[in-house]
This record gives sequence, structure tokens and C-alpha cells, in this order.
Amino acid sequence: MDAFLNQAFAGLSMASILLMVALGLAIIYGAMGVINLAHGEFVMLGAYSAWLLQTSLGLGILVALPIVFLMVALVGLLVERGVVRWLYHRPLDTILATWGVAILLQQLVRSVIGSESRYVAGPTILDGNLVLGGVVMSNYRIFLIFFSLAVVAATWFLLKRSEFGTKLRAVIQNKEISECYGIRADRVYALAFAYGAGLAGMAGALITPLVSVTPSMGTYLVVDAFLVVIVGGVGSLLGTVAAAGMVGEATAMFSMLMNDTIGRIAVLLAIIFLIRFKPMGLFPDKVRR
Amino acid sequence: MNRTFKTDCIGYALFAILLLVVIPWAVSFDGFALNTYARYLALGMVAMALALSWGYAGILNLGQAVPFALGAYIMAMHLKLQASAHMPGGLPDFMGWTNVEALPWFWQPFHSLPVTLIAGIAVPVALAALLAVFMFRGRITGVFVAIITLAFLVAVQLVFIEEQRYTGGQNGLTGLAPLQLLGWRVDNYSTQFYYLVAVCLMTSLAIGLALVRSKVGLVLKAIREDASRVRFFGYDVARYETLAFCTSAAIAGWAGMLYVLVLEFASPTYMGVAFSLAIVIWCAVGGRESLVAAALGGIIVNLLEGRLSDMFVDGWTFFLGALFIVVVLVAPRGLFGLVQSAVRHAGKTIRSERGGARARWLATGMGARRIDNGGR
Repeated sequence: MDAFLNQAFAGLSMASILLMVALGLAIIYGAMGVINLAHGEFVMLGAYSAWLLQTSLGLGILVALPIVFLMVALVGLLVERGVVRWLYHRPLDTILATWGVAILLQQLVRSVIGSESRYVAGPTILDGNLVLGGVVMSNYRIFLIFFSLAVVAATWFLLKRSEFGTKLRAVIQNKEISECYGIRADRVYALAFAYGAGLAGMAGALITPLVSVTPSMGTYLVVDAFLVVIVGGVGSLLGTVAAAGMVGEATAMFSMLMNDTIGRIAVLLAIIFLIRFKPMGLFPDKVRR
Repeated sequence: MNRTFKTDCIGYALFAILLLVVIPWAVSFDGFALNTYARYLALGMVAMALALSWGYAGILNLGQAVPFALGAYIMAMHLKLQASAHMPGGLPDFMGWTNVEALPWFWQPFHSLPVTLIAGIAVPVALAALLAVFMFRGRITGVFVAIITLAFLVAVQLVFIEEQRYTGGQNGLTGLAPLQLLGWRVDNYSTQFYYLVAVCLMTSLAIGLALVRSKVGLVLKAIREDASRVRFFGYDVARYETLAFCTSAAIAGWAGMLYVLVLEFASPTYMGVAFSLAIVIWCAVGGRESLVAAALGGIIVNLLEGRLSDMFVDGWTFFLGALFIVVVLVAPRGLFGLVQSAVRHAGKTIRSERGGARARWLATGMGARRIDNGGR
């Protein structure tokens, strides 16, 4: 039983990481229809920003978080203005162009910083474990779970309650008409993309204590994050949360029953089936487009 | 004989001359250089296979590396068994290290060369057919096809890395014997070997061209433009899509077999995400609307990679990334599109000069009634 609960916690922890990575993607893909394969590289840039701020300025991850968010959001803004904005009417081509961006960003980091893996210390306040019966939970992982839910809440507020969110939803529904009402659609798109990139960067910074930081760390994350977004249903925040939870838990459970790799394979196959039978995701957005 | 058919024939003939005459002559039949070019040709072949499904049927297959790698592994299994003939029980060395007692049943058939050659194409096709029927019967299109094939690619690669006892895991299959083809010991640094690869590429290209020039090709193009409309006409869209997907897989498997002969090892990187997306890059650079152009794209990009990565190790990757962005933004139809619009432009200039003369002739009132269809 304890083994099961420990594994369930591991799954939850994995889900929280996936959720933060996927949330940015959910906005970029859900709102703009852009398949952003450079999303993993935004995560990687976030991780490196955290490493840079810690080694050069001595800032802890939590303090550095807003700075990382802004730095990666800026990169996202540049990518949107430079590449993505020409491709809104060609969704398949965004896969190719953003993969080019991914190659560039990876190589940039590799050339400037080097390809050896880097380690970032976690925040000292969150050291230690919470032990409940036989279940050992690292404080940092618990923090991540709550933090990711807080980020979802903030994003929900931004999309549904703020002026920016209203504009974004208007542009998603009908770009031309919103422009007639004086909304600058290209600016809204650019900011939304930057916000998604910033979220990815923040996720990257937060996972640095758990994984080693390498230039290619994003490649694995982007595929998983994509699957989460698709499973959750395009344009549905709640769906993304549920899907992240499901993918995280399913991977953890399959891994316990079989082994890590087989677990991942089983989840991938399950997702292929899901896309085949429910291409709109489990929780499709009801908004007419 | 219409114009596009003529263009195809000219393109095919020029490509044949390039492969069979110009390249060997340019490297003055140097064995090492020819081996490098044989590698580019095998990669061009898989890019061409992708153009068949992506360019013609609009199926963006991000898992094109799967059939390629399967072909490669099947050929490598045969060669590995040949190399391990003197080992106890004929077991490949890595199986000995991982305590495999006897040769597993799915390795047994690959003692025989004919079985290997058939399986190298049949296995990728069977797997592709399974996936294609699964996807296209459900009317999955566009982005979802891309995501499913990508997830499939990752899953297959994980299986190959995980089953180290049977596939060599991360190391892949190394230490292969040279191929014995009808008593000919294939030397991959020989001129004959280069011609073997070149002839395979030309043959597969001819098969591909025959397919796209046939009625099937026309239906495929129609599906790319508007699948529902084709369905209303009574065509079984899924069947046509499956056919394109499988043909593409067959050629990719064939290319994979050649690739192993060139490089003398098979590795799980052949089915990596990076490699699979690189195939898409080659195809896009060459131009996915033309099979010859896609093959040429694979050859050119790899040739550039070979040249530039020697000079600037890091610079090459920057170049590749930038190339991809620029091609998508500026020339989404690739080199083929650029050439085509250049030719059209030139043609238009010539014709407009002629048109000027004709307009003067018309202005005299001689052909006033024909002015409507005079323009073109």
C-alpha cells in the first residue's frame, strides 16, 4: 500500500511539472493554433536562466522566478515577432519553423554555455520531507504541486477575468471582427505567445533542482506536454489540468507495474488511441470558432 | 504528352545524369567519396518517400524514420548473423553479454538473404498499414496525424532501446559482416556499390513517379486539396491515403537497408525525433511537391552538412536551424517552388513580348473577334 501511495505521489509530482510546461503550450496551441516545437527550448532557457542567476548573482530559484519569467517571455516575444506571426494561417508549417527555432536555441546554449549538465540547488526553506505514515513526500515537490495549481488559477483569472483575456478570447473567436472593434490582434497574439513562453521558462526554472540541466532537456518535455494538451482538449484549461494529472499518474502507475520505459510506451500508445477516437480531447472547448 | 509530364521526364533524366555520370566523375571514382555520396543518396531516397505522402497526399508523417530504421535494423540483423556465424550457437556478441541463451525466433528468419530483403520492405509496410488503417479509417487528418506519428516514433524508439537483449539497445547493431549478394561480396567503398545505391534510388523514384502520374496520384492530390469533396465523389479516401502511406514506408524501408550497407551499423538514433524531423527538413528544402526535388533536397542538405560541419562544427547547426526557418517563411515550396516560379516568370516575360506584337496586330482590327482568348 505504501509503495502504491509513494508512486501516486511521484505521479502527482510529475503531473505538476507536466502541467506547468503544458499550460504555456495550451495557450499557444489552443489560442493560436501554433504547434510550438520550440516550447521545450523555452523550458530549457528557463532552466539555464535560473542556473545563471544562481551562479552569477547568487539568487535562489524562488527569488529568480519573476526574472526568469520575464527573460523567457522576451525570447518568446522575439520568436513570435520574428517567425511565428507569419504563419498563423499555415498551422502545419509552424511545426517546421518552430523546430528550426528549437535547433537554433539549443545550439546557442551549447555554444555559449557548453553542453555539460549543470546543477541548481533547490531552495533551502523547502529542504526535507513530509512523512505521512509510510509515505515520504519531499517538501519541494509538494510546493511544486501547489504552485502549479496556483499558476493555473492565475492563468484562468488572466483569461477569463482580465481585459487582456477578454480581448484574447475575442480574437480567437473572430479576428477580423475584433479588429473592427479596435483590438490590435497582432499585439494580443504576441503577448499571449510571450506569456506562454514565460510560463514554460518558469517551469524550467522550477524543475532545475529535480533534473540535470542540459541543452537538450526540452526535447523530451515537448512531446509529453503536447500529448497533455491534446488529451486535455484544445482551449480547455481544466482539461489540461485533468490530462496532466492523468498522464502523470498513468506513467507512474505503469512504471510501478512494469518498468519506467514500458510505462512510458504504454502511456504513449494509450494517448495514440485517445487521439484517434477523441481528437478534440477529453474536455473539448464548447466555444464555437 | 502534357507539360507536367514533360517536366517530370526532364527532371528524372537530369537527375539520372547527375547521379550516374556527374557525381562519380566529379569525385573521380574515389571510393571514400563515393561511399559518402551513397549515404546522401540513401537519405535523399527517404526524403523522396516522405514527399510521396506529405507532398502528394498531404499526410505530414513525422514518424518517417520508423520504416527507415526498421529496414535498417532488418538488414543489420542479417549482417550481424553472418558476422556471428563462428560464435557459439551463432549468437550475436551482445546477446552473449546480456545472457540470452538461444537465438530468439524473430532473429531466425534473417539467416536467409531473400527473407531479409523481402522483410526489409514488408515489415515497415505492414506496420505502416496498421497505423494507416487505424488513423485514416477514423478520418484523422492534418495536425493530429503529425502528433500520432510523432508519438508512435517515440514509442518505437523506446522499445528498441529498452529491449537491449534483442536489439543491442543504445549501441544498436555494430560489427556487421559485408553483404554477400549472389556471390558478390559487397564492398561499400567500391564504385559498384555506389551504382547499386544510385540504381535503387532511380528505381524507387520511377515507382514513385509512376504512382503519382497515375489516376491514384490524381486522387491523392485531390485529397490533399479537399478530402471531403473527394469523399462525396464516392472515393474511399482512407484507402488512397493508406496506399500513399504504405508506398512511402516501403521506399523508406528500402532506403534504410541501403543506409546500413553504407554505414555498417544500425543505431536507435535512426528512429530519433531529431532524425525524423530532419527528413522533413530535407523534403521541405527540396520541395515536397516534386519527388525529384525532395530527393535532391535530401542530397543537397546532407552534402552541405558534410562540407560545412567539417569547417565549423557549431556553425552547421545554426545554419540548419536558420535554413529551416528561412525555407518555411520565404520559400514554403522549397527549391522546386523557387525554380518553378523563376521559369514561369521567364516564360511570362517572353510571352508578354510576343503578346505585345500580337496586340499591335489585333489593334489593326484584323483579329478583333479573337481578343478574348488572345491573352494567354
